[in-house]
Amino acid sequence: MDMVLEADRLGKRYGSTWALRDCSLHLPAGRIAALVGPNGAGKSTLLHLAVGLLKPDAGTVRVFGRSPYGDTDGLADIGFVAQDTPLYRDFTAAELVIAGGKLNRRWDAPLARTRLAQLGIPPDRPVGKLSGGQRAQVALALALAKQPRLLLLDEPVASLDPLARREFLQSLMGSVADSGTTVLLSSHLLADLERVCDYLIVLNAAQVQLAGTVDDLVAGHRQLIGPRHDGGPIGGVAAVVRASHTDRQSTLLVRTDGPVTDPAWTVRDVGLEDVVLAHLAGGDAQTSHSEWGVPA
Amino acid sequence: MIWLTWRQHRKQAFFTLLGFAALAALMVPIGLSMRHSFADLGLADCARQLADTNVAAATRDTCDAGFRRFTNRYGSLNLVAVLLITLPVLVGLFWGAPLVAREVEHGTHRFVWTQGVGRTRWALVKFGMVGAGVVVLAVGYGLGISWWVDPLTQAAHEGRLGMIVFDLQGIVPIGYTLFAVALGIFAGTVWKRMLPAMAITLAGFIGVRAAVEVLARPHYQPARTQTFPIEGDGPPEMSRGDWILTQGVRNPDGTMIAEDTRIQCPPGGKGPDGRACGAELGIEPGAYNWQLYQPADRFWLFQGIETGIFVALALLLLYLAVRRVRRIA
Repeated sequence: MDMVLEADRLGKRYGSTWALRDCSLHLPAGRIAALVGPNGAGKSTLLHLAVGLLKPDAGTVRVFGRSPYGDTDGLADIGFVAQDTPLYRDFTAAELVIAGGKLNRRWDAPLARTRLAQLGIPPDRPVGKLSGGQRAQVALALALAKQPRLLLLDEPVASLDPLARREFLQSLMGSVADSGTTVLLSSHLLADLERVCDYLIVLNAAQVQLAGTVDDLVAGHRQLIGPRHDGGPIGGVAAVVRASHTDRQSTLLVRTDGPVTDPAWTVRDVGLEDVVLAHLAGGDAQTSHSEWGVPA
Repeated sequence: MIWLTWRQHRKQAFFTLLGFAALAALMVPIGLSMRHSFADLGLADCARQLADTNVAAATRDTCDAGFRRFTNRYGSLNLVAVLLITLPVLVGLFWGAPLVAREVEHGTHRFVWTQGVGRTRWALVKFGMVGAGVVVLAVGYGLGISWWVDPLTQAAHEGRLGMIVFDLQGIVPIGYTLFAVALGIFAGTVWKRMLPAMAITLAGFIGVRAAVEVLARPHYQPARTQTFPIEGDGPPEMSRGDWILTQGVRNPDGTMIAEDTRIQCPPGGKGPDGRACGAELGIEPGAYNWQLYQPADRFWLFQGIETGIFVALALLLLYLAVRRVRRIA
């Protein structure tokens, strides 16, 4: 399978803190991938590494087989919309389309203009005076006009109201459906992206917790309810991701490697959100207890 | 890229030119009237004649009177000249410091650096265009001030090598302005916010300028020494245009008796108490005035050296700024 984005033990450090560490992942071509993780998990860092804004401190990252840092030619294939969709606020949308044309060798200005016209964005008003949703649409139109093979979006909907979120994602899906563009978009809320993505990368505390197609992830996890569990092996279970116990009963979220046949356990299917939350819940707040000088 | 730079900065350029034009509208009439008075009082001739050491005493008196009248009328304008010295750093603050810092502060660097041009080219075009615009401005400023301040300098019997006068005219404003802008750009790449970048630019500019002016400039060329007797006929020796670094009175054996002063007595002159001239300072017969100076004709050489220093510093800062731009995310 064609890999668009490959990271191998990728790391980025700010001072002595690793924002991203030992990050290995492969994003196959043609996917709409969600990059999910809490704030500060390293999502923006990963995207900045992928678009060549940052230089890796460890490991490698490759986009279409090229190392993106300092690779100006490679930028033509990557569309990037940064967090908070920064644009020159005193430029009008029409001027931004012109600017994009001057800054890129491959530039589909009619595409951008058509999109913006369909969305009812005024061409002659400074984008600083547009609503957040409209500004995000302008940024997306500019990124699409590059006709990128990989589109990276950093929290594109974080600042939008629910209606604008849906419209933004719908228009995004509409435009990449035919072109075969690979999309990687980040969010700290899975709910935003669940409907549109078919591939999922979960990032937590600077590391990749989970990566795979949505179907595989959902199919590979089960919830088990049964008598209080002491940690012994269960047939068909590869790993216990998360366990909660009452006096007599245990509820486990497990990764399976076969059918769970033990009649003591009630087996239930899980949703994508349950899987993600179970993986995120593990081991994040360990250090702060000692930093605050309080017992854990 | 050129289109983008122009589109981004056209408003700022317009206001800069407007400010420059307003300043010119204020200064040019003053300059013209100053030059008229200068000509009417015959001071241009005077300046020429006084340069000759054995000028007739009568001419000297008339000329000095003329210069005094001129100075009385226009001398206060020297203060205006002092204000003008701030212009290069203002350009650095408002053109240099925001160039990168503003982009980073607004996050737009992530937009523009991920388009197809690459950030090194972005930096080179931007720095180049702003630099070129600033040089044009600085040339206009340097020439304009040279023209404007010339009568004032002549009337004050100071050379153009004097502390503030030197800094205002000729080609050094180009060096200062380029340096201020480059410092601003560099500060913006390090601190990445406009206000700190501007503050650092201001502090750094003043620091470097003062250091060069006080520590380096007097030594661009070996200073010359000049000695002349304490007792002499006629009016005191006047150096017109030389830049006196230190002066004092020395005994025949070379020991300094009185620093930062000079003594001039008529031949055989006595003090009020009947003792020989200067006896109260402890001077011995044969003592002489001594001064260390840079001659006036080194003006352009010094201008060239100082401009070179600041242009070199500016280029170094721009190089560092381009390098730093590659590491901002």
